[in-house]
Amino acid sequence: MMQVMPEKRVNRQYMKTNSASPQDITPEHLAALLAEVAVQRSRRAFAELFKHFAPRLQSFATRQFGNEQTAMDLVQETMTNVWHKAHLFSPEKGSPTTWIFTIARNIRFDILRKSKKNQNDISAEELWPVLSEEMSDSDDEFAIDQTILLQEITSYYNQLPDAQREVIVSIYIEGKSQQEVSDELGIPLGTVKSRTRLALQKLRELITDHD
Amino acid sequence: MIKFHPNEELLVQYVQGNLDSALAVVVGTHIDMCQHCKAHARDIETHLSAKELGASTDFSELTMQAMLEDILNSAAPAISAPQQILDKVTVEGKQFRLPPALKRVSHRLGDWSKVPGSVWRAPLKVDDHSAVNLIYMGAGASVPEHTHRQHEATLVINGTFNDEHDRYHDGDFVFLGADHRHSPQTAEEDCLTLAWLDAPLQFTSGMARLLNPFSSLFFK
Repeated sequence: MMQVMPEKRVNRQYMKTNSASPQDITPEHLAALLAEVAVQRSRRAFAELFKHFAPRLQSFATRQFGNEQTAMDLVQETMTNVWHKAHLFSPEKGSPTTWIFTIARNIRFDILRKSKKNQNDISAEELWPVLSEEMSDSDDEFAIDQTILLQEITSYYNQLPDAQREVIVSIYIEGKSQQEVSDELGIPLGTVKSRTRLALQKLRELITDHD
Repeated sequence: MIKFHPNEELLVQYVQGNLDSALAVVVGTHIDMCQHCKAHARDIETHLSAKELGASTDFSELTMQAMLEDILNSAAPAISAPQQILDKVTVEGKQFRLPPALKRVSHRLGDWSKVPGSVWRAPLKVDDHSAVNLIYMGAGASVPEHTHRQHEATLVINGTFNDEHDRYHDGDFVFLGADHRHSPQTAEEDCLTLAWLDAPLQFTSGMARLLNPFSSLFFK
């Protein structure tokens, strides 16, 4: 396990989003919480996510199963995956709510399969690879690169040139789309993409050298 | 340009996880090949997730705290061993690259066997109660006219085939209802398709009726 930046240094930057009140839980705020869980293993950020999603998942699961125990199992299994696999969340692919819904959908699918007791039946991850590290959309370089990023990056990104770091932080920590970053910084989308790519290359080199 | 797509109802059931698993493989493969349906499926995902996770129930503070503690102290879920993955399939000396959705289930692919009419098939064992097959038709091949007791879904992976109704190319998804007759054939180009059937084919024309007792050999 690689050393990550001490929690208080990162926290200071995001104080504003961290103190959001329940009524303004925006997708951006939820994405920032997921990033904190992924990068810093923040229990506080996870507790906030849990408080938001667990009762919603329970409502969904109860409608699906009509059995309270199975419903609770689905809630627990879904949120356990969120805790351990937050680094697989990719803002490029949708909102945190959508991502967590797809995890719950997969778990529900597997619970229904298991009740048929046939080991060779297809699994949800084969149909919808939501939680597979290596199989998430092979044409989407972000899905793979982000795994590296969110797990180990905090101590490295300060070594990036300012222009690249700015883009990386906006996209991966703040959960903005490349288009939003382009609009905000007033630079072409192509430049955002190339800076992202260069930064990811550089980070990969830094991480590899470190090992 | 892909002309034929799954309808919205199929896409919704796919995203919900309510579609027959074998049919879900076919729809998922089409989505891989079709930017339009990929975007559509994502919209459906966004819409469904907002709807399904829009309401919360009362969750007692105590239960909540206990579950939260459990999760924070849990071990990371095991990562299942990656299955053996095929990038492409070879049939009759021709190679075809597999779309990602098919790669993920390629370890389920059985051996190729020949069926009458210059047609080869390899079953994909998805589960006990429904089947999906890779069907390879050489150039100038035909499947005798048949009908279905239930439904048939065919996705063109590579090549072209036609029936009485239209011509179908890479990525086209054709969904036929019960009692719909057709006789697929290829012309100068060969064709690899992924075919799903709810129930065995029933051959309807002339001598081909003799095939009915063996129709489970055909694609199911």
